[in-house]
Amino acid sequence: MRAEELKGHLDSLLLAALEDGPRHGYAVMEALRQATSGRLDLPTGTIYPALHRLEQGGLIAGAWQVVGGRRRRMYRLTPAGRRALSGKRAAWRDFAAMMTAGLEARPCAEPT
Amino acid sequence: VRGTDLITGYLAELQARLPAPIVEELADGLEEAVARHRGRGLDDDTAARAAVTEFGDPAQVAAGFVASCPGRRLARQLLLTGPVAGLCWGTLLIAGRAWTWPVPDAARAAFGAVLLGAITLLASAAIGHCYRRVTRAAAVGSATITVLDATMIGLILSLAVRPAWIVAVATAASGLRIVHNVRGLPGILAADS
Repeated sequence: MRAEELKGHLDSLLLAALEDGPRHGYAVMEALRQATSGRLDLPTGTIYPALHRLEQGGLIAGAWQVVGGRRRRMYRLTPAGRRALSGKRAAWRDFAAMMTAGLEARPCAEPT
Repeated sequence: VRGTDLITGYLAELQARLPAPIVEELADGLEEAVARHRGRGLDDDTAARAAVTEFGDPAQVAAGFVASCPGRRLARQLLLTGPVAGLCWGTLLIAGRAWTWPVPDAARAAFGAVLLGAITLLASAAIGHCYRRVTRAAAVGSATITVLDATMIGLILSLAVRPAWIVAVATAASGLRIVHNVRGLPGILAADS
């Protein structure tokens, strides 16, 4: 899925990628790649500003850690982020169910 | 081009555009990306090239950070709420007959000029493309607006301007902006390193 189609949904995916526990930016990208079986076609560099935006919004919290002599910024979901994620997930399920029903339903009989 | 040079060049392009902590975070990610591509069996140079390609155009990455930086946010909030505060104060200036207040013309003109300057700075922070300039313009602009709000509150309280309810509304509007600015400034200054 390309960047323009993702607009507005990237935040949900990032929050979901942090649901199991803290990750650094690149690990978030790898988790997304794995979760979407490689279908996510997004420059990795654009994940980072999105993470910073979520942090400013209080949905995730970032902290520096030293790993192997290198400083690394780790992100974790905040309680507000967890709530936002379940809200976005419910909204997406409703939307997806509606679209699937609308697009895949076949009329029972053609009007003549 | 050797892989290490490629990575160094990429990071230099980011350094020219973004604060050091952000570049440090991206550099760590880039290292991870190189390691991943090496793990897929690529040699060092090819792995570095793949990592740089994967991260994308540095200008685009920097633009993403500018769009979501704290200075940009505060500047936009101030510009959006500005007309409300302006309306409150305009009403008070008219209802309180500001032209009769014992304030020297030079001080009035200076206030107007500084206000215009602050709005110009905030506007440049709201639409600018350079992270450092956006951050500095937002910091100076919001600090100036805070001083102007405090000056107006001090002035009308010292002059005992009426009607009291408009004074209360205008003071509350400016007070909220001051609190918001004082809260937002540390984040902006921290981003400017």
